[in-house]
Amino acid sequence: MTELLEVRNLSKRFATRAGREPSPWIIRDLSFSVADGEFLTIVGPSGGGKTTLLNMIAQIDTASGGEIIFQSKQAPLNDKKSLKPGLNCQIGYVTQEDNLLPWRTCLENVLFPLMAQGRLTEETRERAQSLIRAVGLAGWETHYPHELSGGMRKRTSLIRTLVYDPPVILMDEPFGALDAQTRAQLQEDLLRLWNLGRKTIVFVTHDITEAIALADRTLVLTRQPSKVAGEHVITIPRPRDMRDVVTQPEFIDIYRRIRAQVQ
Amino acid sequence: MTTLTPPAQADGAAAMTRGGLLAILARKRDQLVVLVVLIAIWQGLSMLLGNYWTGTPWGTFERLAEGIAEGELLRHASYTVAEAIIGFLVGGIPAAVLPFLLRRLPMVTAIIDPVMVGGYGAPKLALAPLFILWFGIGIESKIALIVFTVFFVVYFSTLGGIRALDPKLVQMAQMAGASESTIARHIIFPGAVPHIFAGLRIAMPYSIGGAVVAELISANRGLGYMIQLRSMNFDTTGVFVALAAVCFVVFIANWTVNSLEHRLLRWRPPADVTAQKE
Repeated sequence: MTELLEVRNLSKRFATRAGREPSPWIIRDLSFSVADGEFLTIVGPSGGGKTTLLNMIAQIDTASGGEIIFQSKQAPLNDKKSLKPGLNCQIGYVTQEDNLLPWRTCLENVLFPLMAQGRLTEETRERAQSLIRAVGLAGWETHYPHELSGGMRKRTSLIRTLVYDPPVILMDEPFGALDAQTRAQLQEDLLRLWNLGRKTIVFVTHDITEAIALADRTLVLTRQPSKVAGEHVITIPRPRDMRDVVTQPEFIDIYRRIRAQVQ
Repeated sequence: MTTLTPPAQADGAAAMTRGGLLAILARKRDQLVVLVVLIAIWQGLSMLLGNYWTGTPWGTFERLAEGIAEGELLRHASYTVAEAIIGFLVGGIPAAVLPFLLRRLPMVTAIIDPVMVGGYGAPKLALAPLFILWFGIGIESKIALIVFTVFFVVYFSTLGGIRALDPKLVQMAQMAGASESTIARHIIFPGAVPHIFAGLRIAMPYSIGGAVVAELISANRGLGYMIQLRSMNFDTTGVFVALAAVCFVVFIANWTVNSLEHRLLRWRPPADVTAQKE
């Protein structure tokens, strides 16, 4: 597998306000890489700069040092003006909140990126419809976000990113706010969809079980300032069943090792 | 995975309409009760104090019917309404557009802010004599006063709407490859519409009130002129007739804004908690 995305010595601290102590490093000398088609999960303590890391990769926040290399090209990181959010639709981002547009129906929300990119065709519409069916939203297309449950909004926001097929998808604890049942279902949906297209996914979570169950490889981050504390290749065979992945013999072993590294 | 079944839409809608209709009828009934009570108080006062001070409900109604039949009321009312509509549009449209133009120019917004705040706070009534001096006693001075009133109300509510927008929605759109113009059209504008409407809803009665006040000061036509003339003749009932006409115009205008808003903002969740309880 070739490296698609590489993060080298990335550092971040927020601007210091006048008359205050210099603000602490959130991320310091963080390096890792992601291969094409890999499902990478990142676990770390809450408030450990995981969202900040994804924001920098997504090009919506600047870095204080280091570089991000995407498809062998260096991404602009130094000042707000030169940032290119999403790097010309190459990087999709499923954020913690669903960020659905309240004035658009479920289907219109899913179609939004296609419309914005001028790619609304018979074919892409059909793709949107099949994604809607795949996550069980059929029949809800004309409902507005406030008429959907939390799980359905999450699904809508997930397929809104999948629909335009970016090579890399970042996910920031997308299932954090859901109940266990819905969560397991969405994880399965995600794996099924991933299996069809084998996108590169960088999935951030604080839930170790989720991190192991989904991933090809899991990175563990330290407390602030964030660094890589450990790396674990997950050998549990695919396809995996979310409900009994925890009973796999390898699972317990990996879980213990990761648990020891997460402070 | 389990399939999620959408609610049977047709049934749901029908049930809601039936329930909603009952609720609306109940509300109409209660509104009627309030009206009857007010008229009863009015009647009581007129019996207590004599017709001279308050007129009587029935006498007012008779004069109202007379005024409508003669066409006099309609002639004056249409003059006032024309002033209000022109002023409302001339003041409201630029006020709703300007904040969008200024969105990318925070410096300019900050520079003109004191002027805007001043204009918003200036007592409009005190400006009426100036406008009459500048624009004469015709329709122009009334329109100028209304424009001045409406503009600042709508400007600040639109500006507030643009500022209240969740920046995460804009970020999402940028990530999805939306251009600046797509963001303006599909994110910023729809997000600000509820706030624009809030401004228009406040500005609408102001524009009618502004027209009447301007006519009170100096005019030879309009409902305000009617009030002025009749009060000088100690025609209390006549004043009440004109006031009833003003109330009716405000009522119609409010209804228009409401139905337009309802049509454009179908996507909003029912925000009125008391309405849901009915």
